[in-house]
Amino acid sequence: MTPAELALTSTAKKAAKPARHLMSPTRFLRLSRHAAGALWGQKGKAFLMMIGTAVGIMLLTAVVGLSAGVQKRIDQITAFFGPRSVMIFAGGGELHGAGGRAEAGTTLKLQDYQAIRDQIGYEAVVTAGIFSGDVAIKAGNVGTQTHAVSAPPSYSEAFDWYVQEGAPIDSDDERSMARVAVFGTTAAKNLFGDEDPVGKRFLLNKVPFVVKGVLASKGTSAMGFDQDDRVWIPLSTGMNRVFHQDYIRFIRLKVRQDYTVSSVVAQVTDILRARHRIVPPEQDDFRTITPDFIAARVQSMARTTELVGAALAFVALLVGGVVLMNILLLSLSERVPEIGLKRALGARQRDIFTEFVAESVLVSLLGMVLGVLLGLVPVLAIPKFFPMMPMAVSWQTFAYAALFSTGVGLLFGVQPARRAAKLNPVEALR
Amino acid sequence: MIELQGLEKTYHTGGVDTPVLHDINVSIEEGEFVALMGPSGTGKSTLMNILGLLDRPTGGKYTLGGVDLTALDDNQLSTIRNRRLGFVFQLFHLLPRVSVLQNVLLPFLYTEPYPADAKERAMQILQSVGLGDRINFKPNTLSGGQQQRVAIARALINEPAFILADEPTGNLDSVASGEILDIFDAIHRKGRTIIMVTHEPDVAARAERVITLKDGRVASDERRR
Repeated sequence: MTPAELALTSTAKKAAKPARHLMSPTRFLRLSRHAAGALWGQKGKAFLMMIGTAVGIMLLTAVVGLSAGVQKRIDQITAFFGPRSVMIFAGGGELHGAGGRAEAGTTLKLQDYQAIRDQIGYEAVVTAGIFSGDVAIKAGNVGTQTHAVSAPPSYSEAFDWYVQEGAPIDSDDERSMARVAVFGTTAAKNLFGDEDPVGKRFLLNKVPFVVKGVLASKGTSAMGFDQDDRVWIPLSTGMNRVFHQDYIRFIRLKVRQDYTVSSVVAQVTDILRARHRIVPPEQDDFRTITPDFIAARVQSMARTTELVGAALAFVALLVGGVVLMNILLLSLSERVPEIGLKRALGARQRDIFTEFVAESVLVSLLGMVLGVLLGLVPVLAIPKFFPMMPMAVSWQTFAYAALFSTGVGLLFGVQPARRAAKLNPVEALR
Repeated sequence: MIELQGLEKTYHTGGVDTPVLHDINVSIEEGEFVALMGPSGTGKSTLMNILGLLDRPTGGKYTLGGVDLTALDDNQLSTIRNRRLGFVFQLFHLLPRVSVLQNVLLPFLYTEPYPADAKERAMQILQSVGLGDRINFKPNTLSGGQQQRVAIARALINEPAFILADEPTGNLDSVASGEILDIFDAIHRKGRTIIMVTHEPDVAARAERVITLKDGRVASDERRR
């Protein structure tokens, strides 16, 4: 045998080994790069191929941005509200707004709070009170307005909010209707400037008080108001000496470890219905609000937008995929001689298949990049102009975009690629 | 060495059998320059396709370097095409979107392992066919003769034992044809086997052996030199 024949024999023997492995990574990279070149060579067509994917991914990015924003908002509200907390407001009927701000109701009484505290106080820290907005406070010739909270000593524990200076409202204050107050840092600053407020005298709705302590700073809430602009006075003082009312506005429970929020809610509901003589299906004259309830409300407001957006994204991806597939199929007929040539030069069916799928996936990934960039515009811009509209960028944006665009490329590239690979090289070269 | 024993090819289309090649018995030694002639429709192209492993015979035996090729699958045949065969076509079949250099490198897309000196080899071969100054040109900026020289460079890049040329001068004027045939002569002198289909007797005259097909059979097989 001549050397050339020997070489041929060894090639054939090597070739005769059944090649079960898919493809060497270097070959895959070579073919992918070649496919990228082929796309570059037909830019106009490539643009048409990617535009559907781009639109789909753009919508997907916006939807995921909205979802992430909603989740972020829910997390903020839940953290603000207290993840294991229950609020009970007076008044029934429909709720308005994400926080379920209740219309004024007078149906909750001090005795309701006492009954709940006495019956399930071991399962939850129970407090109650009155929120009063725009209360006038005055010290010397400085006068301003703040929010007043009338609540018993359990307020601190129930809201995880403790004094950082001086002393909290205690049970003696509560029992004696003492005219003492604990300030939030903002209210203290507004009224006393940089002076230490503890021990200072002031007027609250013209009733003389003494400052007993200052609460730790909590900052701005998720809904955007300054929580430190407040004054806390004993509930008995508030009801009898300042606001002169026989009803309370809220009862709050912080469920202790080992007990579940849902069972506490059920017990509280039973207690209040029994006390108020309400028999379902009669409407409750109180409202029970939990973090889950708030999350559900916030979510339900975004749900429709999300569903419509997701459906549009899905349709766009589907249409984009079909367009991509058809352009690939059309361009196939122009590229038949190229395929025949490559087969003659030694391309296996698998190589041709890989080249076409790579083109399809690459064009989808380009569509993804364009789509994400376009989709990030509303995600980043909307919160700037509409701060209440929750939008956030999350890793999920990129994960979903990559997943769906690759999926479209694979799904709709396979059929044209298979057809290209199965071409008879003799006919292709003709 | 190529050995065809009792090679048959029959096309089955729509339930009708169309015999194209009958009982072809030919051996071609390493280093020969063979011209394949005959009137249109006598099966020259079919025979070239079978020789080029692009088509399979329906009967008989085809051995290449002692290996029976009829038993190999598509992947294995593809590997042999890539490593051992070089194709030159009448219509050049260059990829219009890539440069001359990239066209010559095209077979290496499918070569394992990818040669480290691929580019140097391509430049060297392009220089040897007189296109060393055209490596970054697009094929459509070249003349027909130059394009065919690119195709020949592409066929040579993997140092194949056999060059299969299907009417390589069929689309060229006489000057360009002469240049191409000179290149084939040079390749042949370096020891490569060339099998070339042609209609033109003066082209066939360059070969040292002329096989004439008629009605799917070998009508004559003459050695000139």
